[in-house]
Amino acid sequence: MKLFIKFDINTICSQYLKLNLEQNNVNFTTLGFGEIEIEDNIDAEALENLKTKLAPCGFEVVENQKSVLVQKIKDAIIELVFMDDSNNYKSSVFLAEKLNHSYGYLSNVFSEVTYSSIENFIILQKIERAKQLIIINEMSLTEIAFLLNYSSVAHLSTQFKNTTGITPSAFQRIIKKRRENLK
Amino acid sequence: MQKNALHILLADDDEDDRLFFKDAFEEIKIQTNVNFVHDGMQLMDHLHNEDNKLPDILFLDLNMPKKTGKECLIEIKKTDRLKDVIIAIYSTSSSEEDIEDTFIQGANIYIKKPSDFNTLKKIINEVVTVNWHYHTSGLNRDNFLLRLK
Amino acid sequence: MKWIPNFNSSNSLRVIFVIAVFILLFLSSIAYKHNQDLNESSKLVMHTYEINIQLERLMSAIKDAETGQRGYIITRNARFLTPYIYSRDKVNTSFITLKKLTADNPQQQENLQKLFKLITLRFVSFENCLKYSDPKTYDKRKLDNHMFGGRILMENIRFKVDEMNDIEKTYLKKRLKIYDAEISLSPLFSISLFLVALSFILLAYRQISRDFERLKVFNKRLLISSGLIAESESIGNFSTWQWDLDADKIDYSDNQFRLLGFEPNAFVPSKETLLKFVHPDDKDAVAKSIDGIIENKQVPFIYYKIIRPDFEVRYFKTTGKLVTDQQGSKILLGINFDITDEHLLNIELQERNKELEKSNKELASFNHVASHDLQEPLRKIQTFISRVSDADKEVMSESGKNYITKIESSAKRMRVLIDDLLLFSRTNTTKKEFIKINLNELLDNAESELAEVIEEKRAVIKSNKLPKLSVIPYQIEQLFINLIGNSLKYSRPDIEPEISISSEKVNACDYPEIVDQSVKKFHKITFTDNGMGFDPQFKETIFILFQRLHSKTDYPGTGIGLAICKKIVENHKGHITADSTLGKGSVFTVFLPD
Repeated sequence: MKLFIKFDINTICSQYLKLNLEQNNVNFTTLGFGEIEIEDNIDAEALENLKTKLAPCGFEVVENQKSVLVQKIKDAIIELVFMDDSNNYKSSVFLAEKLNHSYGYLSNVFSEVTYSSIENFIILQKIERAKQLIIINEMSLTEIAFLLNYSSVAHLSTQFKNTTGITPSAFQRIIKKRRENLK
Repeated sequence: MQKNALHILLADDDEDDRLFFKDAFEEIKIQTNVNFVHDGMQLMDHLHNEDNKLPDILFLDLNMPKKTGKECLIEIKKTDRLKDVIIAIYSTSSSEEDIEDTFIQGANIYIKKPSDFNTLKKIINEVVTVNWHYHTSGLNRDNFLLRLK
Repeated sequence: MKWIPNFNSSNSLRVIFVIAVFILLFLSSIAYKHNQDLNESSKLVMHTYEINIQLERLMSAIKDAETGQRGYIITRNARFLTPYIYSRDKVNTSFITLKKLTADNPQQQENLQKLFKLITLRFVSFENCLKYSDPKTYDKRKLDNHMFGGRILMENIRFKVDEMNDIEKTYLKKRLKIYDAEISLSPLFSISLFLVALSFILLAYRQISRDFERLKVFNKRLLISSGLIAESESIGNFSTWQWDLDADKIDYSDNQFRLLGFEPNAFVPSKETLLKFVHPDDKDAVAKSIDGIIENKQVPFIYYKIIRPDFEVRYFKTTGKLVTDQQGSKILLGINFDITDEHLLNIELQERNKELEKSNKELASFNHVASHDLQEPLRKIQTFISRVSDADKEVMSESGKNYITKIESSAKRMRVLIDDLLLFSRTNTTKKEFIKINLNELLDNAESELAEVIEEKRAVIKSNKLPKLSVIPYQIEQLFINLIGNSLKYSRPDIEPEISISSEKVNACDYPEIVDQSVKKFHKITFTDNGMGFDPQFKETIFILFQRLHSKTDYPGTGIGLAICKKIVENHKGHITADSTLGKGSVFTVFLPD
């Protein structure tokens, strides 16, 4: 039997992190996606110990303040893109309000750390969402274009092609054949 | 951006190309650690040797002596320990058949070798950035397909 | 077998004949019976008349006796007594005859008896009259009494005779009436029976003559068709043979002999001759399949060689079938084809095919050489040039810098040329996987491919709804890219390019330029631009590889783009045409089969 599983990466990560921290006897509260507050005072050695224990699970403690901010920007963008009513928000306004910084500042920090722009990252995420919708929900491009707030199908296609180098239909075809190949 | 240097492996039999590649990586801002193998056999030996750290991105030329890039690709995807390595095909061919075929076989990135050094730098930069996004931003790597010209 | 005529009418003919014969037999028996009846009745009449005559004789004898007696009494002359004496004998004779005649009738016998008594009494009375008239014994009173008594007796006799005659007459009448009734019925009946029999015979005659006509016609047809078969065998280079398995007799058609290199009927075919001419290489296989026919009732085509008497080798194809004819005997029907010409042609074709395959492989390997080996050094040249940094250039002489630029542009041009050539040869060699796809989607892809140029030239592309067709997607996408790219490239500098793309379904017969008319319906997709156009006299040549209408310096290009378009359209069994008015714009029309 073959099942298609849709992942909610955020939930999985949160749950998995929680599990790991509990195993290591850490008291904590979750502040948001990718952000926790450790309630006890722990020394550097214990912190380093925790880091090495979390690393094999794919968790990495972000240390630098700017990196923390970038992670927050990313989380916010992902939240925005995957929101069902994302059409109602302008990304710059949404980010500025959510993170309490001017958009200009956020944009600078993001570029400095990642060598790419917030706009590019938003596009990357939107195309990622489009991919999911194509593969998992088997939605038509028209529906996806509407859902992701594109002015036209052509616009979506163009952005898809610019971002991934291939057309949405080629993408769909390749993934389909790859799955058949695995069988 | 990353604490540890990014681990890059290029499999290409062409000496000049390896040189261009090395220079390009040296000139971009991202901290990387680039290694080379000269043919398919050497590549598979390198990968199967568990002492060697697995690369974060493997750049794979299709036209190589002893074992072609496609054969390597198929072998890698069949090996549990290796199948999650991000693979970027790095080839002279721009045939649609090659591109679609390697994507279907599990390649993530297809790069047509550029004929301009600056383009090469740009491409490498983009690959590393997008790859990093895929690793850090909750993107589904099953859907990671990128074609660069 | 349809052509065998149906002569079942002979059965109905038989029935008609049997009926007619029966009717005739019946008729003759009736005639015979009538004859018998007539005979009988005439006998009866004769019988009645005889009785009548005898009775009359009887009467006349008595009357003679009376007359004689009277004469004697009056004259006393003994001569008058003679009739009287004889009358007694006559009466007796008549009486015996009458007795015989009426033997079958008791009533008449009884009457006769009575009559005889009366006659006896009369003769007694005669005797007495004679006695008392004799002068010796004369007694007037007694004589008168006896004469008178004689008179009464005479009356009684006459009465009795009349009665007998009457009985005889009524009897006759009755009999005659019965015969009359019988005979009067029969003529109508016999005539109608006779007519029926006649009509049956006529019907039979008509049927016979009709069957005969049909037989003649079919005979003629049979003659014609057997002639035609023989003719078509020799025209079509095939022959037939029949092998009657029960009688073990084999018949060859004339052409079978000819195909084997003999004159017709040059030898008597037998089971051995079937294999005799087969080439030694194929003998076993042919023998096996002949045996197989009897088991399987038919053979698939077998292919083999034969050797003619003049040692010429011919290639045969044979098939056969076991059929059972109307008499139930098993006949093996065989057909031979002389396929030597086809076989040789086939071999030639196969060789050509091999050559083609070889040259195709060579082309593919050329493709590979061009795609990889030729590109490699060029790419290196370009990359190395790009590595000559601005700092390096600073220390170079002006001419050195100039040369670098020249090398750069030449290498670039070579790159374009190789890429285009590759694209062109790939439209031929890569696998042609047809997928049903909406052409609008491919047009969108093409437009996004050209997005930069479109934006730069501020071009407007308008398209109406395109059909969903089974195509090689990336080739059609390439076609759109090339056609739109072409329009953008040769746009007029003073005007914003406008390209309109429209599609309609058309009938092939309305467009004589479509050579392949086997496909009836086409989708006609037109690309109309407002560019600089070209001289319409070049509308055919622009599709030829490396044909260029402009100098390289004005419009860089390889002259491959439109040739690729033509190739792609041909791959789809379609057709492409171009037309233009210089300075006004061009129209490219693509016909793709439905």
